[in-house]
Amino acid sequence: MKRILVVVLSILGMVVGTTLLAPAGPKNDGRPDGGTLGYGEYGRPSTLDPITSNEMIALRITELVFNGLVGIDEKQEIVPELAERWEVSKDGRTYTFFLRKDVMWHPKEGEEAKPFAAEDLVFTYNIMMHPKTITPLKVRYEFIDKVEKLNDHTVQFTLKRPILNALAKFSFKVIPKHGPSNPLYLARGDAFVQHPIGTGPYILKTITTDREVVLVANENYFKGRPHINKLISKPFADQNIMTQALMFNAIDMVVLVNPRDIPELQGDKRFVLQPYNALAYAFFGYNLRNPLLADKRVRKAFTYAVNRQEMLDSFFNGQGTIVSGPFAPGSWAYNLDVQPLPFDPPKAVALLKEAGFTPGPDGVMQKDGKKLALSLKVPIEKESEAVKRVVLAFQNYLKNIGVAVKVEFKEWQAWKESIFLEHDFSIIFASWVFDDSADISSLFHSAEIGPWKNNFGAYSNPEVDALIVESKLTLDHEKRRTVNRKLHAILAEEAPYAFLWTLTNYSGYHKKLRRVAIHPYKFFSFADEWFIPVADQK
Amino acid sequence: MKLAAVKPIALVLTRELALTALLLLGVSLVVFVILYLAPGDPFSVLLEGQAAGQEARAGIREALGVPQTWYIQYLSWLGNLLRGNFGTSMRSGLPVFGEVVRVGPSTLYLTLGSMLVALLIAVPLALRSSLRGPSMLTWPLTMLVYLVSALPVFWLGYVVIYVFIHKLGVFPLMSRVSASPERAWLYSLLPICVLGVGNGLVSEAVRYLREEMSRVLADDYIRTARAKGASVWRHAFKEGFLIPMTEIIASKIPFILGGAVIVEQVFNWPGMGRMAWQAAQDRDFPVIMAIAIVAATFVRLGSLLQRVVYVAVNPRASQEARAPGGAE
Repeated sequence: MKRILVVVLSILGMVVGTTLLAPAGPKNDGRPDGGTLGYGEYGRPSTLDPITSNEMIALRITELVFNGLVGIDEKQEIVPELAERWEVSKDGRTYTFFLRKDVMWHPKEGEEAKPFAAEDLVFTYNIMMHPKTITPLKVRYEFIDKVEKLNDHTVQFTLKRPILNALAKFSFKVIPKHGPSNPLYLARGDAFVQHPIGTGPYILKTITTDREVVLVANENYFKGRPHINKLISKPFADQNIMTQALMFNAIDMVVLVNPRDIPELQGDKRFVLQPYNALAYAFFGYNLRNPLLADKRVRKAFTYAVNRQEMLDSFFNGQGTIVSGPFAPGSWAYNLDVQPLPFDPPKAVALLKEAGFTPGPDGVMQKDGKKLALSLKVPIEKESEAVKRVVLAFQNYLKNIGVAVKVEFKEWQAWKESIFLEHDFSIIFASWVFDDSADISSLFHSAEIGPWKNNFGAYSNPEVDALIVESKLTLDHEKRRTVNRKLHAILAEEAPYAFLWTLTNYSGYHKKLRRVAIHPYKFFSFADEWFIPVADQK
Repeated sequence: MKLAAVKPIALVLTRELALTALLLLGVSLVVFVILYLAPGDPFSVLLEGQAAGQEARAGIREALGVPQTWYIQYLSWLGNLLRGNFGTSMRSGLPVFGEVVRVGPSTLYLTLGSMLVALLIAVPLALRSSLRGPSMLTWPLTMLVYLVSALPVFWLGYVVIYVFIHKLGVFPLMSRVSASPERAWLYSLLPICVLGVGNGLVSEAVRYLREEMSRVLADDYIRTARAKGASVWRHAFKEGFLIPMTEIIASKIPFILGGAVIVEQVFNWPGMGRMAWQAAQDRDFPVIMAIAIVAATFVRLGSLLQRVVYVAVNPRASQEARAPGGAE
């Protein structure tokens, strides 16, 4: 079965690869070229290359400037980008990519544009994995054993072990060999980091004092020139101003609309609000080192005690979905059969009593003279207003069933230290953001307990460990889905977290923008297809 | 100006500059130690977005060549500073000096503009009430000025945005850099005015200038001048106006800089304050240090200016200051 799947995948890759080749130049799809799109970002990008950048603002820009070997289409299926086609060996350990020959790097100032070739790929991989390059990507690519150039347009990757969905991982962005000044590793001081050149639909033109980034259409883009002439990323220090700027036509698009501003934009005919799902959810996580929280009944009681739908409705305008388990909703691994626990305070009290707690004289539940009093640590995030309300509501709900919660807000880095290093907390409020691999092994496997590891609550269950390992090792997608469904059910029952919700993100933009398709977390993947009708071009 | 007048000023300047150097050294050390003691590892910002273990954390320090102990870190920072190198931003990898120089003028524009606004309001009000006494016009205006000065500047900022941009639409809404050039100055008016009336300079200038001016006007030499028919204003100018004005401005510089951080944030003004705010969130130590030093320099320059004006007006003051207790 495994082999069949791999073979099918590679054949599919070859077929799709050959049919999608398009010459450089205009797209000839009948849609007009021209116009400028200014979009607002909450904050400023730091580095603009795809290797050292680690925040969403920069990631969105690199999505416009660079390409990977493979990309995904609007149906989230893998499509060729810089690779024309690929072959996968029968044992799933060797991936051979045949590169496009018509791809040119953006021209460096005062130089001719250079063609993209196999060396660039080898160079990118080596620089990414160099110990002195500080990049969040390194851990993602440790499964690769080596990369070799077979000829100018063929590259072979050998994996340490076959992994599921490996093809998707080859979506990392490729940088030119003639880009960075240091050929060994990429430091933040390298000029390339601020003025990157790529193969993508847009060329970086200027960055202003304010770190406003101006991108212009790449006339020689191998998939055809993008329709919109100019894209400008404008940084805002304040979310309130950003929506106002959109309303006053100072910008044409807000990448992530502040939930509070949604009604205002909804009522305005000039704008389109487009939802996109992030692979993320919010939760209250428990520290199982605390003897009071070690009992599953106590943790479940907390979930019963809070009205999650009410919180979602009142603090986020109902823009989201309640989740029941550990996987990102919207991912293939999520088990829709597991229903979220209902809001049921009597049941919560009953569970606490079952666990041996009795109401004390001050109304706080206690057991063996120990009060059920806990500390909740919350990071102060940039958009902390809604978070604050959620936390206070949680405190209130738990008070109603006789649990005293002391809320402590902490600065982000300090919060991370006390949660992940010192493990000094009872409950935390946070969210996880996932990539497409639906991998929860670092969250709940007992080997992941320790300083700076993601199983911060020290949750340990041999059955879960075994299932996680099984899920990681299997290459059979269906089997993996079954294993994950089981994992989902167990973790929902064990409640190491009170799973809350996944929020629907909204992008708001002027209706002159047409054919806007948004990638769930990379956002601009399909921006070369967007266009502005001639009458609306400024 | 005669040499006799220049000499005391030069003396004061030399002494003050030496003090300034010492002060900046102190400020840098204190800020560095506070940053070092603050919870949260600055280098982990570079690892954001991944599950980084102990090893990766150590690796970053090694890759960046950061000394382990805080005092060696400080000394190397200081050594670089003496060579005119403020270091590079941890987050963006850009040289800090260049970044500060790029955003500095925006902040200077904002703070000087706001000072001008504050003085344009305060000076006529104070002079009129000191010369003519409280009237039906100056008294309510003074009260209004006190009231506005008491409002938090961020709140005032939002109210102004709401009323003038959102409701009335009389100003364009965009940051200074991005707006079309011909209307850009219109937008800059708003933050300048908000910081001008909201930083407390107005109320303090009104109060202090009025008191000082009234006191000087009641002095014997002014009475003599008035009796002689000479210009009262010219006689009262130095002591009644120049000295109190420089004193107030110098003492208010830290507050104006503090207010600028908030105003820049609210109005999306690309200045040093916003940069400091961002840097504090990112734990970008080199940037925070550089901005602290620049801010301290400005504050110090303010008091230096005040001393110079004081000595220029009254040359004997330099000697008094040089010999404490008057024993020479």
